[in-house]
Amino acid sequence: MSALQNIFKVVSNERLCPRFYKLSIDAGAVAKKVQPGQFVHIRVNDSFQPFFRRPFSVYRAKKYLDVFYEVVGPGTKALSNKKKGDDVDVLGPVGTPFTLPSKKAKQIVMIAGGIGVAPFLILSDRLKQQGFELVLLYGGRTKGHVYPMKEFKQNGCKVFVATDDGSVGVKGRVSNLFSKIVPDPSTTVIYTCGPSPMMAAVQAFAKRYHLSGQAACEEVMACALGACLGCSIKTTSGYKTVCYDGPVFNLHEIIFENTH
Amino acid sequence: MNLSVKIGNVKFLNPVTVASGTFGHAEKYYNLEEVKKIGAIVPKTVTLNAQAGNPPVRIAETPAGMLNAIGIENPGIDKFIETKLPAFKKIGVPLIISILGHNDKEFKEIARRINKIKGISAVELNLSCPNLKHKTLVAQDPKATSRIVKLVKKELKIPVLAKLSPNVTDISLIAKAAEDAGADGVSLVNTFTAMVIDIEKRKSVLGNFTGGLSGPAIRPIAVYMVHKVYQTVKIPIVAMGGITCAQDALQFMIAGASMVAVGTYNFVNPRATLEVLTGIKDYMKVNKIKDIKKIIGSLK
Ligand SMILES: Cc1cc2nc3c(=O)[nH]c(=O)nc-3n(C[C@H](O)[C@H](O)[C@H](O)COP(=O)(O)OP(=O)(O)OC[C@H]3O[C@@H](n4cnc5c(N)ncnc54)[C@H](O)[C@@H]3O)c2cc1C
Ligand SMILES: Cc1cc2nc3c(=O)[nH]c(=O)nc-3n(C[C@H](O)[C@H](O)[C@H](O)COP(=O)(O)O)c2cc1C
Ligand code: FES
Repeated sequence: MSALQNIFKVVSNERLCPRFYKLSIDAGAVAKKVQPGQFVHIRVNDSFQPFFRRPFSVYRAKKYLDVFYEVVGPGTKALSNKKKGDDVDVLGPVGTPFTLPSKKAKQIVMIAGGIGVAPFLILSDRLKQQGFELVLLYGGRTKGHVYPMKEFKQNGCKVFVATDDGSVGVKGRVSNLFSKIVPDPSTTVIYTCGPSPMMAAVQAFAKRYHLSGQAACEEVMACALGACLGCSIKTTSGYKTVCYDGPVFNLHEIIFENTH
Repeated sequence: MNLSVKIGNVKFLNPVTVASGTFGHAEKYYNLEEVKKIGAIVPKTVTLNAQAGNPPVRIAETPAGMLNAIGIENPGIDKFIETKLPAFKKIGVPLIISILGHNDKEFKEIARRINKIKGISAVELNLSCPNLKHKTLVAQDPKATSRIVKLVKKELKIPVLAKLSPNVTDISLIAKAAEDAGADGVSLVNTFTAMVIDIEKRKSVLGNFTGGLSGPAIRPIAVYMVHKVYQTVKIPIVAMGGITCAQDALQFMIAGASMVAVGTYNFVNPRATLEVLTGIKDYMKVNKIKDIKKIIGSLK
């Protein structure tokens, strides 16, 4: 009964580096509707294993709907087996998108950990050539986990990378790159997406310098339609669903737990 | 083709509905022309006062199913009536409101407030939520079941359904207690108490420690329970438990269910409820059945 669910064809499903893939779906109608930060809920196969759909941020929405994903378990493994011409069952776009920065903003800092970079390409697609300084701080585990940043650079983003082992960019965490930010409360805006400990560090940094920001969160999901109330996280105004109230929240509203 | 069924004195145009807690925000996300076709809508359980729900993690995926421990997060009956009910009413499908009181007084008070509003077809008493840290569920005790059904029946003119728990030795005893107390029907099953353990952390995955198992994994047990209850009571049965398609739903109807609800599977296939309805019609056509009542309890 959902007007948002449809079957589309796979255009391509490309392996970009050892565990990262890019899936292009011939879903122009969905692509047209998507706003940066929204996601799609994909049924990876028709069996009951895995049972749930899997949520993925929209990576790019031009002619096709693109999803950028990392293989971490059975659902993403099944997705990686899809071939050109295969059917893919997509529900979406769903979720509350990023609020785009006001004209006053100068420096837009996107801070991503791992696959958390996914919602930022479409964001930079929308923000490019508008006079903002676009900065991407990206943290990955090692070389094999760092996706070539070509598309971000083409959008005019200044890209800074940190890896745990220093195999690319600076050695250490993404927080080692915070020095690239010019923290001016009236003109610097932060967008972040990645593992909770990283986003907690971003929140602490933003708080210290009184910067406003938004965070895209992740939680295991069943419906992705705000119906089951299963994907709730703690916020300063009570439990909120990541799929419906989020995934994008005010950075300062989220209460990160178990991050120490 | 006659698909209509009755609970108490209320007629539903067809037997297909959604299970409480698995359907919401239709106004934003659903094609309402399609939703209009289903027999009834059962929104998430409401309590007297607002409840924040359980701490995360609230759900876990399991083989052919899921665990949930939402903890009846809801805005409370007054806020529900004010903010959520109008959108449900607008759809134009009969509404069965699911309610839960933490004691007799609360059940009575919620029933009173429901009595004041128009446009509700029936009430379902959630006597069986496993996620609220109560030592025993109402639906695990025939006496408590009887008491609650009686006191709500006294307040309400519209039909009352008792939603039963499968976490009992003999569900037909509880169904009988509900019938004897005046219930107009029984709904079964709610979820099975269950847990999943994270072996690295050696901790239960869910924030509430235990949760309720639902989905196709429980379906054969639910079919059996409906069969057993149908042998025991005369009031209509609203059945749920892992229904994904018309074939699943028909098993429940043949076992004795008058209505069937799609729950968890709405999350996987948001068209499932409507597909169940279409599939039942197809089955009737193929088998030349003119009245759905010929299917209900037709087990040979
Ligand atoms: C709004 C949203 C957007 C997302 N966008 C992307 C994206 O663009 N690209 C991408 O690769 N991944 C994204 N994810 C995460 C992705 O959904 C999970 O990696 C995927 O569901 C894992 O499925 P699996 O069966 O492969 O692994 P599983 O075996 O299910 O899980 C492997 C590990 O990932 C964790 N996990 C599972 N589901 C989620 C989830 N929904 N959120 C966070 N952790 C999870 C599990 O706890 C486990 O530790 C997003 C998640 C959300 C909620
Ligand atoms: C996420 C979730 C929330 C639920 N919430 C409620 C609820 O609020 N009230 C209720 O009576 N049952 C609730 N249930 C139980 C379902 O209504 C249904 O009885 C049960 O899940 C079995 O059906 P299914 O296997 O088709 O889901 C919930 C189930 C799920 C999965
Ligand atoms: S996944 Fe169901 S409410 Fe978010």
